[in-house]
Amino acid sequence: MPEPKITIENLRVTYTGRGAPVEALDGLSLEIADGELACIVGPSGCGKTTLLRVLAGLEHSTSGSAVVRAADPARPTVGVVFQGAGIFPWMTVEQNVGYGLRLRGVPARERREIVRRWVAEIGLERFAGAYPAQLSGGMQQRVGLARAFAYDPEVLLMDEPFGALDAQTRVILQQTLLRQWEGNARTVVFVTHSIEEAITLGDRVYVMSARPGRILASFAVPFERPRDAAALRAEPAFSELYGAIWEVLRDEVERARVAEMA
Amino acid sequence: MKRDRLLSLLSPILLLGAWEAAVALGWLNRIFYPPPSQVSVTLVELAASGQLLRDVTVSMVRVGLGFALGGIPAVALGLLMGISPAARALLRPIAAAIYPIPKIALLPLIIVVLGIGERSMVATIAVSVFFLVVLNVAASVMQVDGRYFEVARSFGGGRGALFWTVALPGSLPGIMASIKLGMGFALTLIVGVEFVGADEGIGHLIWQSYEIYAIDRMIAGLIAVALVGWLVTLLLDELEYALVPWAVASDQKAKGKLRRGATSDERPPEGRSGRSSTFGIWFRAVRPWSFTASAIPVLLGAAIAAVDGRLDLGLLALTLLGAMFIHAGTNLVNDYFDARSGLDALQTIGIGGAIQRGELTPRQVLAGGVAGFAIGSAIGLYLASVAGPFIFWIGLASVLVGFFYTAGPFALAYVGLGELAVFLFMGPVMVVGSYFVQARAVTPEVALASLPVGFLVAAILHANNLRDLEIDRRAGKRTLAARLGRSGARLEYTLLIGATYLSLVLAVALGAAPWLTLVCLLTLPLALRLVRIAATEIEPAALHPVLRQTAQLHLRFGALLVGAWAAAWALTRLA
Repeated sequence: MPEPKITIENLRVTYTGRGAPVEALDGLSLEIADGELACIVGPSGCGKTTLLRVLAGLEHSTSGSAVVRAADPARPTVGVVFQGAGIFPWMTVEQNVGYGLRLRGVPARERREIVRRWVAEIGLERFAGAYPAQLSGGMQQRVGLARAFAYDPEVLLMDEPFGALDAQTRVILQQTLLRQWEGNARTVVFVTHSIEEAITLGDRVYVMSARPGRILASFAVPFERPRDAAALRAEPAFSELYGAIWEVLRDEVERARVAEMA
Repeated sequence: MKRDRLLSLLSPILLLGAWEAAVALGWLNRIFYPPPSQVSVTLVELAASGQLLRDVTVSMVRVGLGFALGGIPAVALGLLMGISPAARALLRPIAAAIYPIPKIALLPLIIVVLGIGERSMVATIAVSVFFLVVLNVAASVMQVDGRYFEVARSFGGGRGALFWTVALPGSLPGIMASIKLGMGFALTLIVGVEFVGADEGIGHLIWQSYEIYAIDRMIAGLIAVALVGWLVTLLLDELEYALVPWAVASDQKAKGKLRRGATSDERPPEGRSGRSSTFGIWFRAVRPWSFTASAIPVLLGAAIAAVDGRLDLGLLALTLLGAMFIHAGTNLVNDYFDARSGLDALQTIGIGGAIQRGELTPRQVLAGGVAGFAIGSAIGLYLASVAGPFIFWIGLASVLVGFFYTAGPFALAYVGLGELAVFLFMGPVMVVGSYFVQARAVTPEVALASLPVGFLVAAILHANNLRDLEIDRRAGKRTLAARLGRSGARLEYTLLIGATYLSLVLAVALGAAPWLTLVCLLTLPLALRLVRIAATEIEPAALHPVLRQTAQLHLRFGALLVGAWAAAWALTRLA
């Protein structure tokens, strides 16, 4: 079997702050293949975001390892799409999309070309010079997507990127992501609350336990690509898979709720 | 709503009317409560005699100096405190301890240290502005959402990127707010500070009027202060819009000012044209950013005069003001004639004028241009009365050149004399004129020292013509660039840039300029890069940056040059 792109072994992350230490991740192990779109679902507070942050290099692990195998020295290894877009309010759409490229030192002319292409790809050409405050939430999220795609990392980490959007915009953006990913396969780790979304997008769906997080189960998604996000829901296999995942998840959601109330 | 506007106009009118009536009927004592009629007469007298202008100028210079001396370190230190916990721990206790002390109460202490006079006044303002701004700036930096730093880090940003792309821009709105606060504070303070130990200035005017019981004069002074404060606020608002357009955009959204549907997917945002303040429109129409091209020669002339021992700040301020108005008039008139000849419509890059943007009608622009010339000439006449008829002739020539720059069949810009006109009138003529206002004399050394600026401003114009070579040729505008053709125009640009630095060195070699001015050579890398681009690019889109950066080069070079002369002057004072 080819070498996995992401190897996580016995990852433990413990937050020490005021009061008792909090174990966010406890011995989490996971392997994600090259070019796989891996979706991670789990109850609130299970540590999904912590996992992504460790992979992004924004968080230190207490023990264990999380390794992303870099194959191409010319490309950045990891790029992140944050919850709530996180696009800079003081930069225009164009400047935001080109941000990662600018930090990498890509020459201006090339950068402009790439930015122009991606701004067109997300359908915001007429807003290229607009500031985020002038955009709706969905448009801002699109800019966040474009920014990560323009950066062209080997691995894309996405933390509930469509969570704050209305259902219709969500479907549109899922379609955008699918189209992009299916055109240019790269490894994606997509964290979400929504089982529906996980099945729609992913090659595999991993279920995380309540805190402290570890991987409880993984499911292969049987649908062929290219996928139509809207039509997928009608397939019988969809609701079967949904049910199976929910079986595992339901207990965890309950446990998480009980733990919070305690 | 019209009714509301009417009401807001009505209340002050009613109040003033009541006051006037009360005095006329003898209910209020005329001496203690001079009526509006008397105050306005006094105000006009003060203005006409130039007294008011002098006092306001003096006060504003003090404010400006104090604000710069206090504000600049405050922003720098505030930024440092914002990003470094160590700096914060070190500096915050001190800043917080001194912050609540009313700074006017520090004035006696400052006088003890620095003596009564300019220095203590400026220092008081500097100290007050510093403590106000430094804490506010630090707070602005710390308020930047931590998430943005993480975003930057996730894209591989190091400490530099974290500062320049997140901390600084993120805190700019807060910094602007602190600056506005500090400026307002400084304006308040200057009046109080001038009560003690000043012999000119608006605060002094107010206090002196009190001492001789000329209450009408006092009120006139207060009105002047209010006007100045209002103008400064307007200017700072525009500055804020220029520096942090994105904050204004989100502000407008929050206040519901953006039209309905403006943020849906269908309509693009309105951008700048959404701001329809009259002041804003006119402000942009006169292209204030080009004023540096006339400010620098004036400052240079005054700096040279200062080294020769003659410097009058009041006259300098007036010269700057006059030059600014004439420059504004020139810009407006050029806009008018270019629009008339249909030239602007052909341009696709660069800043279109107010007419092209539909913000003002051609007639308004022409009227504005003439008004600018009129005000500038009035100031020029006053300066001529003080310094000598030489100024009158210079001023007249400048107005004529400015007007006929793009006007008529023999418009200077379109028969190939544009660069020459600009070289002369925004170079040696302006520098010599400014020098003359200060020193009442002309020397060839001054002309020599002014050459670099002239060449550089001609280079700006030439870069413009180089970019528009094809357009101008097609439109029949025979600029020098269009006449010479591509290779000739490129050569001319190189020559102009080269002449700038050569004349700089020559001036130093012949003893016309202090060796300190050689610091301008620091701009050489940028100049060389521009020459290279001009020599290789053809597309207007690619040459537009050359135009913009030649203007930047002029600004940097000019600023360094003026700074060097000023430093030379400071050295002579200390010696």
